[in-house]
Amino acid sequence: MTPRDAVTGALLVTGTLLELFAVLGLVAMRDALSRLHYVGLAGYGLLLVGVAVLVRQSFSLIGDKALAVGVLGVALGPIVAHATARSLRIRAHGHWNAPAESEGEP
Amino acid sequence: MNEWKWAAAVLAVALAPCLLVCLRARVPSALVALELSSVLCTTILVLLCEGTHRQPFIDLALLFVLLSSVGAIVVARLMEHDT
Repeated sequence: MTPRDAVTGALLVTGTLLELFAVLGLVAMRDALSRLHYVGLAGYGLLLVGVAVLVRQSFSLIGDKALAVGVLGVALGPIVAHATARSLRIRAHGHWNAPAESEGEP
Repeated sequence: MNEWKWAAAVLAVALAPCLLVCLRARVPSALVALELSSVLCTTILVLLCEGTHRQPFIDLALLFVLLSSVGAIVVARLMEHDT
């Protein structure tokens, strides 16, 4: 086993475990806003898997695109999470800037 | 079956809890489960690309990560005033 194989394996296992942990969090949490935290975490698992492919393939067509997928997953995850949280707040309170006393679970 | 395909198989099994949350939880939680499952599907496509050495899978993953994010934002906006 070469050092490259070891690094690839470590990144692959870590990325997969991170995504499994995100699924576990989705199942364990009770409300939508708590569950939403784990969407961003899964994006980092995708990045680690993309980096694992890059380490294995070096800067080839597949390696470049795998890195692009991982970076897009990490970059778009918070945007999606913010848009979803905003939508849930509007759905629950009628406006995103609703007064604090009307806080509640969506 | 190499390690990439094993990882893809494990993540495919992990889609089942997301489906369960989609089916049993309320609509906001179902949307979150849908978003998480789209990340899982993107990862599975990347893993299958490397596991099978078929380049088209990585193009699918690249498109899927973009379209699923846009789709999730659109669904979230449509859900704002849906009771």
